[in-house]
Amino acid sequence: MEDLCDKIISTDILIVGSEGAGGHAAIEASKSGADILIITKGKIGQCGASQMAGADFNVDGLGGRELGFEGDERDSPDLFFETLVREGLYLGNQKMLEKYVEYAPKAMKDLIDWGMKVYSYESAHTEEMARGIISSGILWVATIRKKVKELKIPILEDTMVVDLLTNEGKIVGAVALDIVSGEIIVIKCKAVILATGGWHKAYAFNTGPEDLTGDGVAMAYRVGAELISMEMVQFCPVTMVWPPKDKGSIILYIIKEVDPFGKTIKLLNKNGERFMENYDSTNLEQSTKEIVSIASQLEIEEGRGSPHGGVFFSLKHTRKRFMDMLIKVANHRIKNEMKDTRYEFTTLLPELLEMMKTEDAEVGNGAHYMGGGVKINENTETTIPGLFAAGECTGGMWGAVRVASACTEAGVQGKIAGELAPKYIKTVTQGDLNIAQVKEIINRMNGPLLREVGITPNELQLKMHKISGEKIGLIKNGKDLEEGVAEIEKLLNVDLQKLYVSSSKNKTLNFEFFRAIELRNMLTCLYLSAKTSLLREESRGEFYRKDYTFTDNDKWLKTIVIKRKDGKTEIKFETPTITKISLPSGKLTYQEAIGVATASLKRD
Amino acid sequence: MEKKEIIKMSCFRFDPEKDEKPHFEVYDIPLNGAMCVQDCLTYVRENVDPSLAFFINCRLGFCRRCLVRINGKSCLACTTEVQDDFTVEPLLKEKVIRDLWCESL
Repeated sequence: MEDLCDKIISTDILIVGSEGAGGHAAIEASKSGADILIITKGKIGQCGASQMAGADFNVDGLGGRELGFEGDERDSPDLFFETLVREGLYLGNQKMLEKYVEYAPKAMKDLIDWGMKVYSYESAHTEEMARGIISSGILWVATIRKKVKELKIPILEDTMVVDLLTNEGKIVGAVALDIVSGEIIVIKCKAVILATGGWHKAYAFNTGPEDLTGDGVAMAYRVGAELISMEMVQFCPVTMVWPPKDKGSIILYIIKEVDPFGKTIKLLNKNGERFMENYDSTNLEQSTKEIVSIASQLEIEEGRGSPHGGVFFSLKHTRKRFMDMLIKVANHRIKNEMKDTRYEFTTLLPELLEMMKTEDAEVGNGAHYMGGGVKINENTETTIPGLFAAGECTGGMWGAVRVASACTEAGVQGKIAGELAPKYIKTVTQGDLNIAQVKEIINRMNGPLLREVGITPNELQLKMHKISGEKIGLIKNGKDLEEGVAEIEKLLNVDLQKLYVSSSKNKTLNFEFFRAIELRNMLTCLYLSAKTSLLREESRGEFYRKDYTFTDNDKWLKTIVIKRKDGKTEIKFETPTITKISLPSGKLTYQEAIGVATASLKRD
Repeated sequence: MEKKEIIKMSCFRFDPEKDEKPHFEVYDIPLNGAMCVQDCLTYVRENVDPSLAFFINCRLGFCRRCLVRINGKSCLACTTEVQDDFTVEPLLKEKVIRDLWCESL
């Protein structure tokens, strides 16, 4: 083994990812006294999606009161659970959702105990109940970082886990790459907790940081773990598409959700029409996230979009005095009340508001949250013994809409994994590594370094983004998906095998070298997403098929589970796990289905 | 002043494996809408030289890992807009590992 790699490390539990889910898991697991190691692709507190979160956390109104917030006495854990099931259009895993509701106040209490500052308590998702605890992503990750450092939890930063190692179907370790030195590290361990986030970078237009490349999802798939709901990709409407320096920012989406200001904005197409009148004439721009995104995407795809592929976000109809007041109020609240230092709030927003006195902003739908991922149960166990997963890299809990806070999801599942992985390792001994498996992983990883000709990572990324943008985007249809599946399959089977590092063979900080590894993961996720999207012949929540616009409760209250077996993908359909709420029947139009699910929302 | 369509980025380069000492390379960057330093660096990596080592992650001022020196002043590459020729160097030249990436980042 020593001759295959540069370093061998042993631990009990390897945690892949260091932020909202991984960091929380590590802190929880450290209580058990187990030997743990965090490996993170960036630096703790400065990587992943958590830092960029809004960030609102959710707890039921009674749980909120117990935590010392105003809360909402009309609420209860049962009501919160019911909302999650209904608004997820009944596709969610009810056992997992019950656990989410139960653990939400516990995970929140951890963060408060560890010193996370909270800005306010309010209704975050315009729910009927006040269930939102508002903080910020950077306050959140700084809290976790401080605690991890305080507990002296071992951590390898700027290191990417490349693949998992199994023996007789059980986790025995992992292979990692130190991005800075180029060293290959083999880790021996009894359990792994994956907390690697989504695969946003498979889309050219997205709202995530550079490191979200689906590593955990793809490596779990490669060792035969089941994945679920890979077709569920949430796109965030009102994401900045132009200019390049602002691209991917969701600051205007956040502002649109702020009462009462949000009601003054208009979304316009290139003809100056307020197109939401044609899609939801009652709620207009205040309609659900899904309907606003689908409406604006239909306008763009039918040729009525803005010059850079979005729609217009307009405030030009308001008076100059209104805009001046708005800028003043926003500045006061951000700088004096919240003492917020985030660039998007302190600089970008005031600049945009100033510009919007005379010009419209261009906004579109960025890939924002992955509803699918590694299939886990309510105990965060995957289908591979010793493999746990937490946060956005998991799938199946929400169903067809991410109804509540993903920050809370990260904390809840991180905490559960951190409680249970230490119990698991007591029941097993360290399994032997399979030398052939390690060799294969390292050889494959080094392939692009050894080749002298072929396709560069930049070229392959361009091809991937073209396909994901044109054929596997927000508005889907059978023909495009079929082509998309075939084209991505070709990139995986042909182009990926020709990938080569073209510019420099020095492994130190070699962008092409690690992007080659990431491309394999992104293409894997994208392929599975396209394949499952093609199977789901209906529209539901965040999933929209132009050729099947009905929400079909009779045929499609089923989740799609996919895994790799003997080198092939194996697919099965599973009825969502039910505890208290039975599944509805009947076929509804897409709008009707969303209307029924969200009927209790107060929009006035 | 008329807006420039192409600006020149003078970029610190150093690959300890093949360079004896650091040098500067000048790249022509076509401006296409308001761009930050990170957009220029990404342009080079995607169109001219993929070996250019720099760190970009959140792209919106959260992670603070893209600290570099722009015309001698420490700035975040992701929030610093450029409209004219500029020089980009690592934050701490004495601690450089490769190109714009140095130890303290």
